[in-house]
Amino acid sequence: MKNVTVKRSLLGLASLATLVAAYTVVSNAERFVDPARFPPVLRDVLRPEVIPPTQSIAEALIALVTGPRSDTASDEHAHAGHHHAHSDHVGVLLQQGVTLQQSLLITVGRVLFGLVVGAPLGILLGFFMGWNRRADDYVHPLYVLLRSVPPLALITYIMLWLGHSEAHRLIPIVYAVAATLVIPAYHGVRDVAGTYVVAARALGARGRLLLTKVLLPAASPDLLAGLRYALAIAWMTAVGSEMLMAENGMGNLIVGGGMWASRLQTRSDPAVVMVGIMGIATAGFVMDAGAKVLTARLTAWIR
Amino acid sequence: MMQMSPAPWTRLRRALVAIGTLAVLYGIAAQIGQKWLPHRIWMDVHYIDDVELLPTYRSLGEELVFLLQSGILPSSIAVSTGRILIGFFLGACAGILLGMATGRSRRIEDLAEPWVTFLRFTPALALLPLYVVWFGYGEPSKVLLIATNVAVVTLLGAHQGVRGVPRVYLDAAASLGADDRLAFKKIVLPAALPQIFASLRIALGLAWVTIVVAELIDAKMPSLGYLLALAGAYPRVPTMVIGIATVGLLVLAFDLLALFLHARATRWMKRTA
Repeated sequence: MKNVTVKRSLLGLASLATLVAAYTVVSNAERFVDPARFPPVLRDVLRPEVIPPTQSIAEALIALVTGPRSDTASDEHAHAGHHHAHSDHVGVLLQQGVTLQQSLLITVGRVLFGLVVGAPLGILLGFFMGWNRRADDYVHPLYVLLRSVPPLALITYIMLWLGHSEAHRLIPIVYAVAATLVIPAYHGVRDVAGTYVVAARALGARGRLLLTKVLLPAASPDLLAGLRYALAIAWMTAVGSEMLMAENGMGNLIVGGGMWASRLQTRSDPAVVMVGIMGIATAGFVMDAGAKVLTARLTAWIR
Repeated sequence: MMQMSPAPWTRLRRALVAIGTLAVLYGIAAQIGQKWLPHRIWMDVHYIDDVELLPTYRSLGEELVFLLQSGILPSSIAVSTGRILIGFFLGACAGILLGMATGRSRRIEDLAEPWVTFLRFTPALALLPLYVVWFGYGEPSKVLLIATNVAVVTLLGAHQGVRGVPRVYLDAAASLGADDRLAFKKIVLPAALPQIFASLRIALGLAWVTIVVAELIDAKMPSLGYLLALAGAYPRVPTMVIGIATVGLLVLAFDLLALFLHARATRWMKRTA
C-alpha cells in the first residue's frame, strides 16, 4: 500500500521535473541556437521577455525574497559571467522596498480578515434563511440578486463612499466570503438539521443551546466544505482587488506597483508574475491544507 | 421549520413584495440622499464634484436611456457575453475532457496531479499579466483567461464525477457484457453529469468575476468591465450603478440557465429537494 503511494507521487514528481526541464531548455533556446535561425513565429515567442528563462525566475525570486539591501551585494560577486540587470519590474519593486514574504503576509492578512468577518455574517444569514421558511421566502430572492454581483465590480463604488482606504480592499473579500457561506449554512439547517431539531426541541433545547449543540454541528460538514471554497474565492478577490487598487500585497507585486487600472498599458515582467503566482499558489495550498485538517478534526464525530 | 411548504404563488408574491420593498426603500433613500449626502468628495489628491452617491431613479432612468440609445450598453453586453461564451466553451471542453481522462486513468491522474493542484490554488486573475505578455492585449488573452479559469473548475468536477461512479455499477455492466465504450456512455457519463453541471455553474460565476477585471487591460469601449472602470474614473455613479446591475442581472440569468440545463440533464434522477 505504502509502496503504491510512493510510486504514484514519484510519477507526479517526474512529470513536474520533466516539464520544468523542458521549459528550461525551451526558454534558453536562444542561447544555444542563433535566434535568426528560428522560424518567424517562434522568433517572437522565444524571447526572454516573453518566456523568461528558469534562471531569471530564480533570480527574481531571490531578489524579491532577500529584498533591496543584500541585492547589490549578491550582484557584485555572483554574476561575474553575464551582467543580468534586473528588469524594471523587479527594480521598481525593490525600490519600493517590496519583498515577497511581506506582500504575502499582507494578502494573507486580508484573506483572513475576510474569512473572520465574512464567515459569521454568511453563516448567520444562512441559518436565518434556513430556519424560517417565511423569512426565507422574503430574503432569498434578495440574497440571490445580491450574490449575483461580482465583488470586484463594487470596488470603485465602495471607494466613492469610503475614500481611498483599506475598506475597498477588504469589503469585497468579506462580501465574497459571506455570500459563499450562506448556501451551505442554509442547506445545513434546512435539509440536514430538521429531524435533529425536532428531537432536541422535544427534549427542551432552545436558543443558544440549540444553535451551538445542534445546528452548528449538524451543518458543520457542509460549512467546512463551503469554507474551503470560500477560501479560494477570497484569494481570488484579494488578488484581484490588489491588482486594481492597492499599493501593497501580492496583486500589487504582480502588476509592478501602483494602480493598474489607471495605467493600462503596463507590461509586467513575466518572471515576477511567475514568482508571484508561485507564492500565491503555495499560500493558498497551505491554507487549504489547514482547512482540511480542521475539517477532519471537527467532523471526526461523524465516523 | 415544520411549516408546510406554501404554494408556489405565495412564494412568488413574497419574493415580489421583498424586491418591491427594497426598490421603494432605495427610492426614498436616494431622495433623502440627494439632500443630505455630500456632492463634493475628497479623493486623495483632488475633489470630485457633482457626485450622486445614491443616484435617484430619475437620473438612473436618464442614464439608462442614454446608454441604450447610444448603443453603448447593448454592445457592451454583447461583447462581454461573447467573450464569456467563447472562453467558457473552450475551457469547459478542455476541462471536462481532461477531468474524464484523469478520472478514468490513474496513470494520467498521477501525471497531471501536481499541475492541477498548482493551478487550483492560482487565482485566474493572477495569470492576467502573464497572458497579456504572451497573447497580447487583444481578444485572445481575455478569452484564454476565462477558458483557463473554467477549465480548472470543470476538470475537478468531471474528475470527481467520474471517480464517484460506484464500482458496483461498472462491475454489473461488465458482467452483463458491456464493453468500455457502452459502459462509458450509459453509466459513467450519466452518473458524472450532476457533478459536471455543478462545476459548470460555479465556473460560469467565476468567469463573470474574471471578465470584469480582464476587460480593464485593453481600453476599448464596448465591454462591461471597461464601462465600469470608466464610470469609476470620472466618476459617474449612475453609469456605475447601471453597470453593476447589468453584470448582476447577466450573472443571474446565466445561473438560472445553468440550473435549468442541470435539471433537464438529470431529470432521470430521483430528487429529494
